[in-house]
Amino acid sequence: MSEQTAGRLAVRRDEGTHMLDRLRALLRGRNLAVLALILLLAFLTVYPLSMLLYGSLHSTPPGTAGSFNLEGYRQIMTAHNAVVLLNTIGISFAKTIPSLVVAIFLAWIIARTDTPCRGVLEVMITLPFFVPPILTAMAWGMLGNLQVGLINQTWKAITGSETSPINVYSYGGVIWHMSQYTTTFLFLFLVDAFRAMDPALEEASRMCGASRWTTFRKITLFLLLPVLTSGVMLSFIRGIESFESPLFFGTPAGIKVISTEIYDLITQRAVPEYQSATALSFVILGLMLLLVVWQWTVLRGKSFQTVTGKGFNPGVVRLGAWRWATFAFCLLFFFVTTVLPVGQLAVGSFFQFFGFYGWDMLTLDHYRAVLGDSEFWRATRNTMMLGLVGATATMVLGSIVAYISIRTTWRGRRLIDAMAWLPWMMPGIVLAIGFLWGFAMLPAQIPIYGTVWALFLAYLALGTPVSVRVMSGAYAQLSFDLEECSRVHGATFFQTLTRILVALAWPAFAVGWVLAFFGIMRELSASIMLYTTGSEVLSVVLVKRWVNGLAEEVSVIGLMMMALVIVFRWVQLAVIKRRISTL
Amino acid sequence: MLGNLCKVAVIAASMTVASIGIARAADEELPADVIAAAKKEGKVAFYTSFFGAKAHLDIIKSFEAKYGIAVELLDVRASEMTERIRTEQSSKRYIADVVQNGAASLVRQQREGYLQPHGGIPNAKNLLAEHKETDFGVPTYILGYGILINKNAVKGDDVPKSWQDLKDPKWKGKIISDDPRALGGGNVMFTAFQDKLGDDYNKALAQQALVLSRDVGNDERRVARGEYPMRIPQLFSNWLALKKLPVMFIVPVEGLPYIRFDFGVLNGAPHPNAARVFINHYLSEQVQTAYAAAGLMPVVDGVLDKAGEAGAELKGIKLLGTTDVDHQNAMLDRAKQLYP
Repeated sequence: MSEQTAGRLAVRRDEGTHMLDRLRALLRGRNLAVLALILLLAFLTVYPLSMLLYGSLHSTPPGTAGSFNLEGYRQIMTAHNAVVLLNTIGISFAKTIPSLVVAIFLAWIIARTDTPCRGVLEVMITLPFFVPPILTAMAWGMLGNLQVGLINQTWKAITGSETSPINVYSYGGVIWHMSQYTTTFLFLFLVDAFRAMDPALEEASRMCGASRWTTFRKITLFLLLPVLTSGVMLSFIRGIESFESPLFFGTPAGIKVISTEIYDLITQRAVPEYQSATALSFVILGLMLLLVVWQWTVLRGKSFQTVTGKGFNPGVVRLGAWRWATFAFCLLFFFVTTVLPVGQLAVGSFFQFFGFYGWDMLTLDHYRAVLGDSEFWRATRNTMMLGLVGATATMVLGSIVAYISIRTTWRGRRLIDAMAWLPWMMPGIVLAIGFLWGFAMLPAQIPIYGTVWALFLAYLALGTPVSVRVMSGAYAQLSFDLEECSRVHGATFFQTLTRILVALAWPAFAVGWVLAFFGIMRELSASIMLYTTGSEVLSVVLVKRWVNGLAEEVSVIGLMMMALVIVFRWVQLAVIKRRISTL
Repeated sequence: MLGNLCKVAVIAASMTVASIGIARAADEELPADVIAAAKKEGKVAFYTSFFGAKAHLDIIKSFEAKYGIAVELLDVRASEMTERIRTEQSSKRYIADVVQNGAASLVRQQREGYLQPHGGIPNAKNLLAEHKETDFGVPTYILGYGILINKNAVKGDDVPKSWQDLKDPKWKGKIISDDPRALGGGNVMFTAFQDKLGDDYNKALAQQALVLSRDVGNDERRVARGEYPMRIPQLFSNWLALKKLPVMFIVPVEGLPYIRFDFGVLNGAPHPNAARVFINHYLSEQVQTAYAAAGLMPVVDGVLDKAGEAGAELKGIKLLGTTDVDHQNAMLDRAKQLYP
């Protein structure tokens, strides 16, 4: 071997060693953790979506012989779909904006005023979010129908009018039904952000001569921008994908939206048209991604930190006599969104037939039927187990993703954030198919399909976008000096994480946990696609009864879920927040 | 018109649920070695698209008690079940043994190659002549669809006797209907009308400005509450639960649109012997009587007399027509044209 050759080999060996060192360094510690996180998110979100992408580009679903083409995308490019899309965007916009205004007002009342009984009001305001839409649809179908609706009948009796002012089977009805969820969802997002706001900034604004309104607009709302934009986007996107309201109240009025069109393509054709349905979903996903990019653009380079090393008390605005007006507003909201529909359900559950009241029809049979049904108890156990484990896992994952995305400058953080968003942008009914295909097509050595793991992983993927948004909003408000101070004083990374970040972000974590838990409890599309014998969940049991016209038993289950919500919210607000939150 | 009606009557009469006075052969078991093998298999996984029907549970209990074979029931909606089976079959994850689906959908699954021959079901000898089994499919029961009226709103001569009566202008905008543009009862009815009453009938019905909905359970109650005087198509079995309300089920003279549910054994079924025993049990007198009592039309002879009030009401009901595997999408498209 010549010296030249030996030299070249030595250089190559050095290069090889150098590359190995670089690879080792890359795989060490932080990078390894980020890589593991990317792989986990890829499995949870990108993998099922890639199955759907395959479905949109292939003439047949995965596993069936066919060919690649763009037929799905060609078929959806119609004037009809364009009109339906605009209609959908219009409805989502129309329900998001008023809901946002009301949610901000309610959050401000609860977090920043001396309105009486705010603790109780906070629990009451959030209740509508946790009631399954099927139940409220059933109740509002009775309360607001044109011919015999209770509200119209009352109006006619009081005014002597011959006309009915309310028709829930209309655009207004669809928007109203969606708004109840959106308002409380946004409220849950906003209320803790209002609490975690240092009033010194607002006071400074007032000292500089700004009016109360200008301060609210330019300081308060601006500081809430990360939480506001996240909440609005989540809500707007969910509005695009919302299914129950347009199906129940829109179909009889001839109102068409994208979600019902997708539903038709998948479930209402002799042979499901997955290629068109998935193509349509990807077009929607593309449009929604633009929104996320918009949010990044809006927030880029700005600081929203309000929780700093300085101690502060959340400022409480003394309203004087007006506090009774704000109290009345909260009560009115509670009455309209909870008492009316849930009262209707509660009354209906004690009568033989929902909506038919007479002494001879009073019965406890529906309670006996539900409580005596072994499937109901099995489903309750499964739901509680999946809810507790799933919500905790979702929040842990969401907290990690949000931390990396908001509090670090690590490479790959944007990718992680974007991956966590993906499940939210795909209509539930389509994503459920993606999970089904994804889990079933795994190698036989990975037996997820047909087990309770399939449900758990689907819930984890579906809940992560919300948990990330909730925790991102909370982290964005925390000043970096808190962490730096902790590290300077000798705390380790994990001590800083648990004793500073976790402690300060705990209220948001608790809200996110409740959202995730009840998200699991309400989730239907993936549940019905992935459940197996023995792993039934409550949402499936609820729909079984609904499909079979057992509205009364549906009411009973719904009321039990409501009771659970009240207990959870009470514990969360009364115990955890008072003892642990330092805000 | 009269000619058409006569034709309809002849067809309907030929499809009457023949159950009066016919002696039925005794139930027959599968050979002892098949039953022994089934017991050894120990369980059977049963997929059905008759979602949430309570009748399943009692019948399953009777099977488990008789044979000591556990039944794993998975009931989901038709579209979800179809996709699950397609996915399981194409990924070779064989979990299900027996599938119960609408007859047209089952034929499609057979064509896709997802079914295996069932190997012979002894009790199939009792099937009615118009509902015979094939090598792959075994009929189990029939869902019949009629008209639901509010007794306070529709009285005397206004009570429809024929599907043709729905064309009367006085019902314009007053009939709530299951959506014929989607799979389900609405499209079964649309298809039966198209085949038996003609396209003109469907056109005339569309002119009546039907209020289309997909909220079956709630729509029945809306009629009972008087929001609408009439609903089509109304499932007979659902009506049994509404009898205490001011509603009435009408069987038009032409007969009822219907959908039949059939059994099949899936390819790769892990418990093929238990699957056969299970299907055979479903055609037994005990099970068919239980279904009839729940308002589902039996497919075997001689059980209606034993099925109580519901059985008596089902006697002599004519069947009008049903969906056809080769024309389902064409019917959905035609419905979309008539109800844009």
